[in-house]
Amino acid sequence: MVGERIIDGRGMVPPEPMELTLAALDTLPDGEELLLLLYCEPRPLYGLLAQNGYAHHSHTRPDGTVEVHIKKA
Amino acid sequence: MQPGLSFEQAPPISVPFRFFLTAPVFGIAAGLLLLWQGPEALISRWTSTALALTHLLAVGFMLQAMCGALLQMLPVAAGANIWQPRRVTHLTHAGLTIGTLLLVAGFLDGQPLLFQIAVPFMTVSLGAFALIVLIALFRTPAQGPTIIALRIAVFGLIVTISLGATLAATFGWQLALPLIELTHVHAAWGLGGWGLLLLAGVAYLVVPMFQLTPPYPVWLTRSFSVALFFLLTAWSITWLPLERPAGVQAALACAAALLVVIFPAVTLRLQGQRRRKITEPTLLFWRVAMICFIAAVLVVIAQQLIAAVDAYDGLPFLLGALLMVGVFMPVISGMLYKIVPFLNWLHLQRIGKPGLVVPNMRQMIAEPRMMMQFRLHLAALVLLLGATLWTPLVYPGGLALIASCVWLEWNLIVGARNFARFSRELETRLAAEQAAA
Repeated sequence: MVGERIIDGRGMVPPEPMELTLAALDTLPDGEELLLLLYCEPRPLYGLLAQNGYAHHSHTRPDGTVEVHIKKA
Repeated sequence: MQPGLSFEQAPPISVPFRFFLTAPVFGIAAGLLLLWQGPEALISRWTSTALALTHLLAVGFMLQAMCGALLQMLPVAAGANIWQPRRVTHLTHAGLTIGTLLLVAGFLDGQPLLFQIAVPFMTVSLGAFALIVLIALFRTPAQGPTIIALRIAVFGLIVTISLGATLAATFGWQLALPLIELTHVHAAWGLGGWGLLLLAGVAYLVVPMFQLTPPYPVWLTRSFSVALFFLLTAWSITWLPLERPAGVQAALACAAALLVVIFPAVTLRLQGQRRRKITEPTLLFWRVAMICFIAAVLVVIAQQLIAAVDAYDGLPFLLGALLMVGVFMPVISGMLYKIVPFLNWLHLQRIGKPGLVVPNMRQMIAEPRMMMQFRLHLAALVLLLGATLWTPLVYPGGLALIASCVWLEWNLIVGARNFARFSRELETRLAAEQAAA
């Protein structure tokens, strides 16, 4: 069964959401997805994800929240 | 990966750092010039001292820090990749540093040769920077109000550079051009078309992000930069020697002033609505800047409507102190205290690997150090504003400005040294882990 963990970074000051995301990825099982919620595209995070072998896709909700879905590439 | 979002294409950390570490040195030079010339600096905006002082702050401090931040911010935050970032960095940094020295020496010494060297040197280096950044901003897949504001801002920089080069050429080659008219338009595009629009474009992104405020209202972000561009253009045309109805120039100046005052008013309101009521140095720097911004706009409106205000001798120094020491220097200082620790953290992440804990952003520059610089800068601002009423205050004002810039420089050096120390520690830990494995 594929699960999903959520980090809601919308009330956090950068780079706290990125720190929590990178820490959560350390224990993310293969096949499981991490969902990061923010009010902006975390462009610097994308480079770090690619560097560490993670794939991501993102989309913006109507309320402006950006959903970033991350899992092992 | 999405196109144009590669962190790998971001320039090395030394790129922005060299700009950031150079900027306060020109702030110190401005303070020293104030001490050297004393009340002479306040007589008129047209004296060699006033022109040198203006360019030490506007080009030496402000433009230096702005270019460094933009070169780093464009690839990382806006997905706009700069062509040949290392070469552009060397050229721009040299253009700004040597160019400011040549300009200031030219103003103080009056030697046409200094302007004859400064004009081609600064036009090529800064012009190339502006064009390359503008192309990157048009090629990025990213969209939104920040990108639109930045495009117009960089166009404003090109106008400012062109007019500045023309003005400097009149000193270098004794050309007969309308100096006063050109200077008004040059200053308006430099502070409004470039400085303010860059500030607004960056604010749309960083104020909600770092100060946890609600986003800027869409009606503002959609129309502000475009409306200011058209008003500035129309106002600039009124300086041409053409027939026009009386009062058009003052009316356009008042309209532009009323438009721009919306930005600091909305920013202050958003800061009042922030989700975490934490008072930290960057917030305080921004608040002071927005209050000074509103004060400067009120002065400009009074200048247009009341003849006695327009005739007041201290007015140019008052406006210069409000806008440069009161608005742009605090905003830049506040932003540097976010940018430098964030860049440190980000570049340390690149060295590390999953599971290897990177030092926290707060460990890069201690907050009490930033607060100390805030207090020094506030003292400089109050004293320099006071100097428009009682000129001897220019001496303690100049001293406080030097102290503020020395403190800022030292804080940035601490940030750079901490980056070097933490990267050495990370590399050692990484090597030890690899050896153990």
